[in-house]
Amino acid sequence: MNWKRHFSTAIGGAISGAACFAVWPELWKSYGIMGGFMAATIIISIMWYFNHWLGVVENPNGKIWVDQGFAISAAGIVWGVVRLDASFLQAIPTFVCCAIGGVLAAAAAVVVKQVLPRYNAGANKS
Amino acid sequence: MIAFLSTYYDAIGMTPAGILTTIFGSFCVTFVVIICWGKLVEDFGPAGGMLSAAIIIGTFWVVNHKLPGFGINPDCIASPDGGIKQYGMIYQAYRGACPWVDMGTTIAIGLWCHSLFMGKPGERLALVRESLPRVAALVFGGIIGGAILGLISYSGANLFGG
Repeated sequence: MNWKRHFSTAIGGAISGAACFAVWPELWKSYGIMGGFMAATIIISIMWYFNHWLGVVENPNGKIWVDQGFAISAAGIVWGVVRLDASFLQAIPTFVCCAIGGVLAAAAAVVVKQVLPRYNAGANKS
Repeated sequence: MIAFLSTYYDAIGMTPAGILTTIFGSFCVTFVVIICWGKLVEDFGPAGGMLSAAIIIGTFWVVNHKLPGFGINPDCIASPDGGIKQYGMIYQAYRGACPWVDMGTTIAIGLWCHSLFMGKPGERLALVRESLPRVAALVFGGIIGGAILGLISYSGANLFGG
C-alpha cells in the first residue's frame, strides 16, 4: 500500500514540474509580466488543487508538510540542465541563498504566529 | 559601499547585492505563504487555495522572477558586463547561466522547516525520518518531469528561440 502513495506523490511531482516549465516561460515571453501573473494563476491554482487539496502528494495530518515546491524546484533545475545546457553545479549559489531565506522565514513565522490574533484565537477555541 | 555591493565574485557567481536580494526575496515569499496560505484555505476551502495561488504566487513571481519583455524581449536584455540583466529579487547565479532556480525551492524548504519547528522537540527526528521518503518521491517525480520536458529542445520545437 505504501509504495502506491509514493507512486502517486512522484506522479504529482512530475506533472506539476512539467506543467510549470512548459507553460510559464512561454506565457511570459508572449505577454510579459502579466503573462507571468496569469501563469501563476492557471498553473499553480490547478496544481495546488490537484496536489494538495485532492492529495496526490502524500501529506498525512500532523506530519511535516511536503510541498509541491520540491518538485517544481527539481524540475526547474533539471529542465535548465537538459534544455538550456546549463551546468548543474552553477545552480548551487542561488539554491543555497534560497534555502537560507526559506529557513529564516520558517523560523520567523514560528515567532510571528505566537502573536498573531487570528492564530491565537483559533488555538483558544479548539 | 556601492563598489562592494556590485563586485562580482567569480567563485560564487554572485555579487553581495545579489546575495542580499536573493535571501530577502525568498524570505518574503516564504513568510507570506506560511502565514497566509493555510488561513485562506481554512476560510474559503479549495477556492481559497486557488485564490492564494493567483495572488500570492502571482505577486511574488513579479517580485522574484520578473524579466523585461512584453513579447518584445523574449531573449532578455544583454547586460554590459555579460549575461543578461536581471530584474527579479532571486538572482540567477553566474550572470543568468545557472539552471533555473525557482522560488518553489524556497517555499518548499521553508514549509518543511516550519512544520519541523512547530513539531514537539522530542518527535522531530521521527518527523524528519517519516518525511524523507515523500520528499525523495517528489524530487524524483520533478526530475523525471523536468528532464522529459527539457527534451523538447531536441525535437526542434523552440518557441521564440528559447
